[in-house]
Amino acid sequence: MITTKNIKFSYPKEQEFLFPDLYCEAGSTILITGDSGKGKTTYLHILAGLLQPTTGEIVINGTNVVSLSESKNDTFRGQNIGVVFQKSHFISSLTVLENLEMASWLALGMKNTTRAIKLLEQLDISKQANKLTSQLSIGQQQRVSIARALMNEPKVLLADEPTSSLDDKNAKKVLELLTSLSKEYKAALIIVTHDARIKDKFSNQITLV
Amino acid sequence: MITKLAWRNIWFKPLNTILSVILLTSSVAIITVLVLLEKQFEEKFSSNIDGVDLVLGAQGSPLQLILSSVYQVDAPTGNISYDSAKVWMQHPFVKKAIPLAFGDNYRGFKILGTTPDYLEKYGAKLSEGKLFEKNFEVVVGSEIAQKLSLKLGDAFFGSHGDALEGEVHDQYAYKVVGIAKQTGKVVDNLILCTIPSVWQMHDDHEEENPAHGEEGHVHSDTERELTIEESGMEITAVLLQFRNKMGIIMWPRIIAQNTKMQAASPAIEVNRLFSLFGVGIEALRYLAYGIMLISGISIFIALFNTLKERKDEFALLRVNGAKRMQLLKLVMIESLLLCVVGFVFGTILGRVALVLISNASEEDFKLGFNPYEFIWEKEGILFLLTITVGVVAALIPAIKAYNLNISKTLANA
Repeated sequence: MITTKNIKFSYPKEQEFLFPDLYCEAGSTILITGDSGKGKTTYLHILAGLLQPTTGEIVINGTNVVSLSESKNDTFRGQNIGVVFQKSHFISSLTVLENLEMASWLALGMKNTTRAIKLLEQLDISKQANKLTSQLSIGQQQRVSIARALMNEPKVLLADEPTSSLDDKNAKKVLELLTSLSKEYKAALIIVTHDARIKDKFSNQITLV
Repeated sequence: MITKLAWRNIWFKPLNTILSVILLTSSVAIITVLVLLEKQFEEKFSSNIDGVDLVLGAQGSPLQLILSSVYQVDAPTGNISYDSAKVWMQHPFVKKAIPLAFGDNYRGFKILGTTPDYLEKYGAKLSEGKLFEKNFEVVVGSEIAQKLSLKLGDAFFGSHGDALEGEVHDQYAYKVVGIAKQTGKVVDNLILCTIPSVWQMHDDHEEENPAHGEEGHVHSDTERELTIEESGMEITAVLLQFRNKMGIIMWPRIIAQNTKMQAASPAIEVNRLFSLFGVGIEALRYLAYGIMLISGISIFIALFNTLKERKDEFALLRVNGAKRMQLLKLVMIESLLLCVVGFVFGTILGRVALVLISNASEEDFKLGFNPYEFIWEKEGILFLLTITVGVVAALIPAIKAYNLNISKTLANA
């Protein structure tokens, strides 16, 4: 569950963004849309705690993350927020499975191998577990990103243009996985997108102007 | 986990890593060899001159006299008359005088005529048998006994001079009566006998070029045993130990002015030798430090380049909950792992090189080195130096990773 109030942010010497408040319950989905330059990615980074807003508050499961120190914020993010990016980033020297284990180790201090294997099975990529991420197709990579985002049972799942580099078939599959898994793991799902293919699938939308 | 990631990362770019490791390995290896060589060389040289204040011998290069008579590595300067040497040997200043007469060799190992004092000076006790008493009885150094597998009671013929291919003296056979214990000094590689053995061996074939610089003796028809009391004989050198230290300073000049002999100080000559080597060792040392500097730069460039490529990975680690400090640690550990690997390989390679050097010098100079010795102090400093190179090389990349702007990196990706 995540709520935001009165979030303002400005890059140095640029116009100030005022972001609309949002409220998203566990298991439900919000779509954030808007044209380029309206601050979609900025908003997502603020929600993820990667950028510090000038004012406002973000409450995730009762914790106001804006007031956390940087180091606490890092830990909180690792434990409570999962992020899926448009382009999948991985640690290229580690295998698929190790990438997932790393996510749990960084957040909780221990490797959760059983969970990693379970997620890979759910996402139908368990055969790829011991490959390097660069050996996977883009669709498979995106599924590994989703698995990684869900590794620590996050309260909030943020997805930044998760479908825009995928073809129709893969985009549909990824979207289904995101919504069904966020329901299953009771995470609030926030998708930032300008992908017209998915706009009409969600009733709960915020448009940045 | 961070260490594991660091380890994976350095082997993900094997070429960069191998270059850095090779550079580090070679510099560490060179320094290790130098450190070990220098110490063991000095130890060997110094331990052999213990108890030798001056060496009395034929005129010529004093360094040559010392090298030949104390270290058995060079040709002797020539022979001196035993009668005139005795005048000095019996001087009240002298505490102990050990005469040396160079004779033949057996399969490249020198047969040295001397007195039992020689063994005593090197602290060489007998492990088997007894001391040489009669002519042609020999005590064999431990290394020789081992290498040529000589046993008590074995007999052999010597070849003339110090050349392996010298003419074989088959008139008299040497007989092994004793085997000395290991001392780590030159005596391990010598075959010792009485001085009259050397005289007698060469006594009746002076027409066939007798011992070094030795003038022909009166031909004797009788096969009599020569003794140390013989007059008009020659020896090669005398090792002198003084009771009165004044002699050490005075004698070289007195002897040079009044006799055809010279007296050389091993301490001075060895110092001269070290200072000659010193220049070369110093140059090698600077070369090694230079290579280490280059390896530091190589690590820096490798880390800096991968940092550019791996910005996304670092941002991702932060998104997954890594703290700034953990990224700094990651870069540092990568660099330190390279350094530790380089140091370990360098230490091993240095010792392998020392084994090779040791084999060569053993063959040429009967001078072996021990590769298994660890000089903790100096090698510890070398380790710290290597680590410092790693830390300095990683400093800027690590700080860059620490200060990475995650949002900007991800937005631009």
